[in-house]
Amino acid sequence: MSAHQVTPNESKYAASARNFRNNVARDLNNAELRENFHGAMHYLRDKRSAAFPQQDELETLREQCKLIKQRCLAKLPYLLEQLEENLTSNGIKVHWAESTSQANDIIATLIEEKSGSQVVKGKSMVSEETALNDFLEQRNIECLESDMGEYIVQLAKEHPSHIIMPAIHQNKKQVADLFKQNISDFSYTTDVDELINVGRNILRDKFCQADVGVTGVNFAVAETGTLCLVENEGNGQMCTTVPPLHIAITGIEKVVEMLDDVPPLLSLLTRSATGQIMSTYFNMISHPRQIGEKDGAQEVHLVLLDNGRSQAFADEELRQTLQCIRCGACMNHCPVYTRIGGHAYGTVYPGPIGQIVSPHMLGLEPTKDLPTASSLCGACGEVCPVKIPIPKLLLRLRQESVKKQDGNSQVMKGEGVGRSNIEAMVWKAWAGVHRHSSIYNFSMWWLTRLRKLMPSKLGVWTSVRTAPKPAAKTLHERVKKHQSSGAK
Amino acid sequence: MTTINTQHLRYYPQKPSEVYLYGTCLVDSFFPNSGIDAITFLEKQGIKVHYPQGQTCCGQPAYNSGYKEEAKAVALAQVAQFPLDIPIVIISGSCGGMMRHHYPELLDDVPEIQAFCDRIFEFTEFLVQVLNIQLTDNGQSEKVALHTSCAARREMGVHITGGKLIKQLKNVELITHENESECCGFGGTFSVKHGDISAAMVNDKSNNLDKAGVVRYVSADWGCMMNINGALEYQKKSLRGEHIASYLLKRTQAQGAS
Amino acid sequence: MTKLQHNIARANILAKLKQQVAGADYTKLPIETPYHYPEIEREQQISQFITHLTNNHAQVIKTTQAALAEQVADILNTLKIENLLYGKDSTYSQEIEQLNPTVKLQAFDFTLEDKKEHLFNNTPASITSSHASIAATGCIVLWPSKNEPRTMSLIPPVHIVIVDANDLYSDFASLVKAQQWQNKLPTNVLLISGPSKTADIQQTLAYGAHGPEKLFVLLLNS
Repeated sequence: MSAHQVTPNESKYAASARNFRNNVARDLNNAELRENFHGAMHYLRDKRSAAFPQQDELETLREQCKLIKQRCLAKLPYLLEQLEENLTSNGIKVHWAESTSQANDIIATLIEEKSGSQVVKGKSMVSEETALNDFLEQRNIECLESDMGEYIVQLAKEHPSHIIMPAIHQNKKQVADLFKQNISDFSYTTDVDELINVGRNILRDKFCQADVGVTGVNFAVAETGTLCLVENEGNGQMCTTVPPLHIAITGIEKVVEMLDDVPPLLSLLTRSATGQIMSTYFNMISHPRQIGEKDGAQEVHLVLLDNGRSQAFADEELRQTLQCIRCGACMNHCPVYTRIGGHAYGTVYPGPIGQIVSPHMLGLEPTKDLPTASSLCGACGEVCPVKIPIPKLLLRLRQESVKKQDGNSQVMKGEGVGRSNIEAMVWKAWAGVHRHSSIYNFSMWWLTRLRKLMPSKLGVWTSVRTAPKPAAKTLHERVKKHQSSGAK
Repeated sequence: MTTINTQHLRYYPQKPSEVYLYGTCLVDSFFPNSGIDAITFLEKQGIKVHYPQGQTCCGQPAYNSGYKEEAKAVALAQVAQFPLDIPIVIISGSCGGMMRHHYPELLDDVPEIQAFCDRIFEFTEFLVQVLNIQLTDNGQSEKVALHTSCAARREMGVHITGGKLIKQLKNVELITHENESECCGFGGTFSVKHGDISAAMVNDKSNNLDKAGVVRYVSADWGCMMNINGALEYQKKSLRGEHIASYLLKRTQAQGAS
Repeated sequence: MTKLQHNIARANILAKLKQQVAGADYTKLPIETPYHYPEIEREQQISQFITHLTNNHAQVIKTTQAALAEQVADILNTLKIENLLYGKDSTYSQEIEQLNPTVKLQAFDFTLEDKKEHLFNNTPASITSSHASIAATGCIVLWPSKNEPRTMSLIPPVHIVIVDANDLYSDFASLVKAQQWQNKLPTNVLLISGPSKTADIQQTLAYGAHGPEKLFVLLLNS
């Protein structure tokens, strides 16, 4: 099995990412969807801003957390080994997967070894990456999402449109309609408390019956062999405590060196994500159920997934992508995400973080429209709790995308895919003009003299704007006159 | 909420007797009035302004499109145009961000490139931080909005200086429009490569400015204003943006002068 | 996946990563400077703790060890709950046992598998002790044990937790440091800052998503 083998799961996201432009056209024209995102993003922005009343605290924490993550990445292979050693001695089994299909195979095998047939799942974006639900369904294993948002998304046969609030694209009426279509004894209501209660009752039965719980991990602590999970609902705890088998899956970048690294990261994570000074629950698991204990999973496994992360790791600049703690603040503040929503990206991770991480997971070929789909406004980088220079990484990916293939060092899968000979020639010519002021001045002189001939239609630009008109004379010319007219 | 990033903290020199003006390619061929107004305004402060005729473009269009070598060739040609050790005042936050923050890496093989970058000042930043300017407002009372470009805000950290200057104008009321800090959707080639997303953004930005109940908005970036003004004109709205250099010159001229 | 494939995946991942960091000098990493929070008085810490929990819809009741049983009886009475799950031989079990016979006490003296349905469907409330608490974020730290298992704070719709203000720490980082957690983590540690909740439907907060709908905090020695 090779790491770059294209599996059916990978192609599902690759296909929808390749369709980015059509997705955008579809979702920009969906007024209800845009309204849902607009409301949600402003709500989350306000919440975050209120959670950081002191600028100096925020900036000190961001710098500290950036350095923590950079240290942990600098030591990554050794920390992974230490994590494995400590988890193993704590009784938690560790598995390694290079690709999403390997990860799915590992999980299915673990479940089948226990004759498991009902899985409850806590929120895990990495399991979305592997499209675990689809995979287990094919093996006749029921896999039910238990986070309320994920449950809604699964009922709707969609995937999350936001990494923290998966069903953010739906409003309560849409959820009520969805329940009506899918839940037999649902008495119609749009009251959120009642809707949640419907979900609660269904899912509590499932927690009680399930033989397997699958979850993600927010931080894996190498020093102690501890898996940390952040959540509000309690479903994560249900998945880790009630079924006899708990399988956690996470990306290799989630390991932190020490327990002392956790409090500052946690503080920035919850505040950046939802503006909560602390999530309702912070669950730290270091062992399976020990002798004499009365509950908790009897077996705990951790699956460590690469899926393109080691490619990002291999380049010092791109490695910063892996600092991400998955708070979602970048998408909450992104003017593009706010308008096109999470599904348009086509990838598991939407928004700015998705634009920089997906090309490593899927290659640049299907994702080549993502790095350019940004005005580089910098809002994402400004709020990132671990200071990932997202705009800079988008620029870097643009460079990789249009890079001339010389057969030498390959930085990433699909590099050079965005290069077109025409565009490359245009920029070459552009540089030729702009590096020689005589040619430039000559060109601008003609541009201004021919201003009347400027077309009033300039493709997509003039679909919502008028065309700009060149001035009668250039600034270069006007300055000459200004200076010769005896001004000081 | 104001953001003061440590990356923006910098050393400001004493008021110089001479400066360079970097006009930018957009102002050169489309909006030269702003360049002349900026020069005139600086001259009124007793500063001699040099405008090297060899300047063209900072290289940002190619750089943002991933064509680093092409950007580099153009950037190198710019650096050569500014040999004197005097400040380079640039009438665009976006081009300023490119020259101040991206040149060091783009031109990392050029000796003392950092010294060149340290001479780059955005126009409003220069007025507030270097000249410590005190403006006398001679205009009628009016309400204006301010649009700060994303690069000015986040790369240069100079979104505050524009507002400070407007606030010095005693007859002008500065109105904050909805989602003031949000991008107008220009983004250079982004507005062409992803025209539909850019269109949605500029429509929201122009609506928010229009709703603010102001007679004009000012900005220190013609890139954004070409985008927003184009949308406003397309929508047949009367609101327009004006470059802050032109606006300040007009407001501070003695009454009667036009 | 076979054992062999597993080992190949492991070796491949580690080899790729190690190739990149070979020869790295970890003594030269930049210094990480934490933020220093101003020290605040104990009284303020307690009120911070209470305010945060209250904001998160927990109900905090200041009381004393002697009045515990009475307080619990009051809460259950108001909620018209007659059964209470508790941990035998736990810190406050003697006080709780005073509730007999007005409240039907059920000790968690079974394994989860034996009474799963009972726990989900016929256990309206539970009471547990706590290990510590955190002022800055209004958190209660549970350190579940054989006597007070993990599901006690999770499955019953009402959770009553007893917090001793003498175990209040200013923030999470100082708690981890003071107690040297890295040397003795149990199977599970849980930080709780309120009843279970979700805002997954149209950003509207709803309590009692999966865990307890109500959280009562009985604060001693405050």
